[in-house]
Amino acid sequence: MLSSILLKTLRDQRRSLTWWALGLVALAIVTMLFYPSLQDSPAFDQMAKEMPEALMRAFWGDIADFTSPAGFLNRQLFVLVVPLLFMVLAVSRGSGAIAGEEEKGTLDLLLSSPVRRRRILTEKFAAMVAAIAAVGVVLWLGMVVGAMLVDMDISVWRIGEATLSGALLGLTFGAVALAVGSATGKRGLSMGVTSALGVTAYFVNALAPLVESIAGLQKLSPFYYYIGGDPLTNGLNLAHGGVLIALTAVAVAVALVAFERRDIAV
Amino acid sequence: MTVVIQADNLTKYYGSTRGIENLSLQVEAGEIFGFLGPNGAGKTTTIRLALDFIRPTTGSLQVLGLDPRRDVQEVHRRVGYLPSELALYDGLTGGEFLRYFASLRGGVDWRFVDELVERLGAGLSQPMRALSTGNKHKIGLIEAFMHRPELLILDEPTSGLDPLIRQEFQQLVSEARDRGQTIFLSSHVLPEVERVCDRVGIVRDGTLVAVEHVGALKARALRRLEIHFATPVPAEAFAGLPGVRDVTVEDSAVRCEVTGTVDAVIKAAAQFEVVNVVSHEPSLEEVFLAYYEGGDEHAQ
Repeated sequence: MLSSILLKTLRDQRRSLTWWALGLVALAIVTMLFYPSLQDSPAFDQMAKEMPEALMRAFWGDIADFTSPAGFLNRQLFVLVVPLLFMVLAVSRGSGAIAGEEEKGTLDLLLSSPVRRRRILTEKFAAMVAAIAAVGVVLWLGMVVGAMLVDMDISVWRIGEATLSGALLGLTFGAVALAVGSATGKRGLSMGVTSALGVTAYFVNALAPLVESIAGLQKLSPFYYYIGGDPLTNGLNLAHGGVLIALTAVAVAVALVAFERRDIAV
Repeated sequence: MTVVIQADNLTKYYGSTRGIENLSLQVEAGEIFGFLGPNGAGKTTTIRLALDFIRPTTGSLQVLGLDPRRDVQEVHRRVGYLPSELALYDGLTGGEFLRYFASLRGGVDWRFVDELVERLGAGLSQPMRALSTGNKHKIGLIEAFMHRPELLILDEPTSGLDPLIRQEFQQLVSEARDRGQTIFLSSHVLPEVERVCDRVGIVRDGTLVAVEHVGALKARALRRLEIHFATPVPAEAFAGLPGVRDVTVEDSAVRCEVTGTVDAVIKAAAQFEVVNVVSHEPSLEEVFLAYYEGGDEHAQ
């Protein structure tokens, strides 16, 4: 496990990723177990319709029906919890990738080995992709098992596509965190800036349909490309997925150029 | 003579803060070059420029005849480096750490690593968070030496080592030189540089003020000498000795400052019964002082 920067980076995360996996499986199954009790109470549909729309949208999304399997899963997991978890995972990895080693002082020795800066950064990025993918697959499997336990009438492939969409969203913000961290060498700054961007992006997407002044901004928010096409119901919109991948590519390119050019802090 | 490090008017500013200014330097193949200066003089800046961690503001620098930036992989393949602020991966054991860096170098001769481990008395099985500063330092030294690089760049290499290991380190450095490797080491402690190095460059306020062979440096060094006698001695016995000044005689003790060899003072003292001789190693500032005063004498 110590033969490359990629494997070493994943090895460093082995405990943390194990806890992530266990936590997400538990979250997925416990959430699913609540479904039968909600399904039998159509009163919830009525209650949801009486809630203020802004509040609804801000935290539950644009969910027409409340008790269908897709409506339930979107509301409980995909609108807020899944993207939030993917973002926390990705941003912590992305901001620590270069800036973390730089702040701890280990980057000097790593850079003194015959490995180019762009290779170090590429392997760190690959480790982030691998971590997100592994956690995504585990989360998906957890939801599939949960859905089977409560006999939910939903396609496991649609769950997979919605999870993939969430993973791509996380990856996008992880790449932004990587870029800020690689350009500045400051981990805290990278986390703060990227988190602020994430929260802003979330609310712009959620509230744009209600607030006229920001209506035009919705398509600037990565969240729109994550969930605007309702991937759980309609499958992953390839154009939307492509936008997230393109944003990721731009952020990684910025990270490569900025890291190559700058002075490394002592 | 092949030049291993060639710096010409090298200048590095961090924003408006000076790192080094117009520093020119030549380190030759097969020598142990000591880079001596107080903290903040620009030693680490020069080293980090040579390794392409930072880029010069102006001036040029070649390492092993290569451009540290363009040929970074080739330079790093042939250089071993010990940082002054050594930080290792806390979660790895010393052995895992060395295997990781060996694999980034495409493998090293592990028998040589074992030999280094044994000679320095390094422990490879504990996680590095459990190691003392000195033991971490040994791991860092092994990492720098293990691929038998053509050039070793060691930033304050002995700061964390106890005296016994320091001796072993000096031995390792001499052996490396005898194998044809070049060693560039920085230090702020003069006696250490005197013991190990062939040539010394003195850096002050970001500029190289002198490059000397160690012998010449010693000849110029200023020592404070204190000689205690069994009985009071006459002041005239110590007046007008060559290289000796600021002589004070109090009853049975003589204090003076000596430049270069202490031979004249010792011979003058030998005619009385000597109880004790105390010699104070000159501080770095005193070496500078001697150097500059020496320069004035030559000018006159």
